[in-house]
Amino acid sequence: MADDGLRSLPAQRIVAHIADAAARWRDADFPPRVRATAAIAQRLGYSTPVIEYALDRLFFGITAQGLETAIVAELGAVAALDGPLARTHAPDAWARGVEWAVVISSDTTVGVALVPALFALCAKARVVVKDRSDALVAGFFATLAEEHPAFAGAAIALPWDGGSDPVEDELFATADVVVAFGRQDALTAIRGRCGVETRFVPFGHRASIGRLSARGVQEFDAMRADALVRDALLYDGEGCLSLHATFVTGRTGALAQVASLLAAAGERAALEFPIGTRSPERTAAIAGYRNLARYRSTTRGGAMIEGGNAVVVEASLDAPPPFLPGALVVIPISGDDDVAAYVAAHRLPVQALGVDTVDADSIALAARIGAVRVCPFGTMQDPPLAGHHGGETRIAPFVRWIDAR
Amino acid sequence: MTDPAAALDARILAAIAAYALDDDAFLALALDLFAYQIAHSAPYAAYARGCGFDAAQMPRCVEEIPAVPAAAFKEQRLATFPPERGALWFETSGTTRGSGGRHEFDTPALYEAALLASFDRMMLGDAQRLRYLLLVPEPRERPHSSLGFMMDVVARRRGDGEHGWYAHDDLLEVERFLDDARRACAEGVPVCLATTAFALVGLLDALASRSCRLALPAGSRIMETGGFKGRSRVVQREALYRDASNGLGVPIASIVAEYGMTELSSQYYDAPESRAAIEPRVKRAPPWLRPLVVDERGRLLPAGIVGTVRHLDLANRGSVIAVETEDLGAAVDGGIVLLGREAGAELRGCSLDAEELLHRRG
Repeated sequence: MADDGLRSLPAQRIVAHIADAAARWRDADFPPRVRATAAIAQRLGYSTPVIEYALDRLFFGITAQGLETAIVAELGAVAALDGPLARTHAPDAWARGVEWAVVISSDTTVGVALVPALFALCAKARVVVKDRSDALVAGFFATLAEEHPAFAGAAIALPWDGGSDPVEDELFATADVVVAFGRQDALTAIRGRCGVETRFVPFGHRASIGRLSARGVQEFDAMRADALVRDALLYDGEGCLSLHATFVTGRTGALAQVASLLAAAGERAALEFPIGTRSPERTAAIAGYRNLARYRSTTRGGAMIEGGNAVVVEASLDAPPPFLPGALVVIPISGDDDVAAYVAAHRLPVQALGVDTVDADSIALAARIGAVRVCPFGTMQDPPLAGHHGGETRIAPFVRWIDAR
Repeated sequence: MTDPAAALDARILAAIAAYALDDDAFLALALDLFAYQIAHSAPYAAYARGCGFDAAQMPRCVEEIPAVPAAAFKEQRLATFPPERGALWFETSGTTRGSGGRHEFDTPALYEAALLASFDRMMLGDAQRLRYLLLVPEPRERPHSSLGFMMDVVARRRGDGEHGWYAHDDLLEVERFLDDARRACAEGVPVCLATTAFALVGLLDALASRSCRLALPAGSRIMETGGFKGRSRVVQREALYRDASNGLGVPIASIVAEYGMTELSSQYYDAPESRAAIEPRVKRAPPWLRPLVVDERGRLLPAGIVGTVRHLDLANRGSVIAVETEDLGAAVDGGIVLLGREAGAELRGCSLDAEELLHRRG
């Protein structure tokens, strides 16, 4: 059953309550946020400035305007969630929210489950979020319940421990929509437990890359380097929107200049976003990569510059990205064909394409490589709420249209 | 004029024969070896220069000797002699692109001397002539397996005149193994079962499926090596050793782990005084092999702190003296404790990772 309380609220009010709750979480001293920050730091090992940055990006992005923009873009009007609306040259239609939505965050990305859950709530669906237990989602749902008691029964946060909770069988089988984030094997397992008619929205692991055009190389300076380095180093490069490799277009020597600026930016980033704690295995892998890069650089040539906690490494088109924290991989190219060939050769599922300028060429490149977002460097880790994460719509999966003519 | 390689070999062989090398002597030999290697290996010289060292600017201590990442063996030929003088080479494991590397030798003398000296002390302290039952790659099938070469030398030079090979890639000749093991039991000849961890699991599974247990003659022992990297089945060492002890009738303390790598010429073994328990065991190096535990910047870590293990192997005269690994360990009194990869460690984030990309690429 849907929660009657939430169904009885106009969508506009739900949006307002969510925006108000998010506004409270923008305060770094808000006690639930303080607790969540500590829990995330303990579990994931990110430094406090990194977590604060992530939470700021998340909650400053959740605004009434942002929610409404996404809803209007996909449904035509916010009021379409409340009942049939007249449409020109089409039947009146009601974007009625589904009864049950489940959001699974089988990874550890900070707050990734929250945004789809909030859109499900905007659709007046009852939502269960299962994620790695860092209390962020549960804390935010508690704040929502303070905003309006209807959220208490409609927004439920449960821990995800890898899929062994027996409750999940019924949950997945009866849910109208299951949104899942995770590795391919996790997604396959979850999909297998869903009902035949369950709408399954998977978000698999992906990589993001950047391309500096010849003009971008010419204009590359310390400020642009800071922006690019932030995209690469935040969250230890472990997000699907993290910059995993940067292609540098241009003449001989262009790459050396870019690499030098990036290393300097790495030094500055180490102060702004200090690294937290990492597992010994991860640390060993990073050291191994750094050592091998140094070996290659000294014996074969090519840039390898350390800057702060980062290492800028000139790599070839032959090697896939290393996917290691602090690795700023730069690859010289002669043009966009090289980028497309690289993505194809390494079968890289691309999420975002970072560029110096969003223009027709970069959009064409994104289309060729299957990227679902093109954005300027410095904004890769800050996707807009009204955008299409993973190329998907935000609220549309949570409604079933009722035509009324 | 004396051949510098021969002169170095003579000094290294003397240290191996004496099974003793104090810190000063180790450093002196290490620096001479380093000087020789940068004079005869262009890639190592270039790497050393990149680390700030050359013939005019020599390292002052063993920690400063540039350590080549083990993966570098897959990148370039790392040898101090021309290819035509090669006498022996071992193949390192493949990379993600499928190509392995080579560790080349212009003479097997150092390698053989080093492996026998260590094996004698760490596996044959009682000087027993054992019968070798070998669950490792046979040199006839895998001529460039360092493990197969090593056990072939040991079996021929230290065995009782009979030995058998029972592993063929992932297939075990279980019946033939059982026949030979039972014959050794009937003759009262103690055996040394040399096996990879994965093959040992397979053998124990086969014994269990036959409801069969062996009681190998007193004095028998097991040398286990390698882990489960790339294997679909992983068994914890604690369970493996207990099962092996029960299934083969060999005391836990007579099951000894050997730790080596193709990029080295020398091996570590469980220190005898740590064999009463299964975990943790201290890995002991012979005097001409020194482990250093370093942090991610290559700085030496104090005892007890976990870092990556770097090896300085004087028997690596024909390649590079210092090899950096991604293996985790901590220095302890009398050696190092190696740490296995943490099973089930939580992966962070929603990014693709190298392992998943590899899986996608098939």
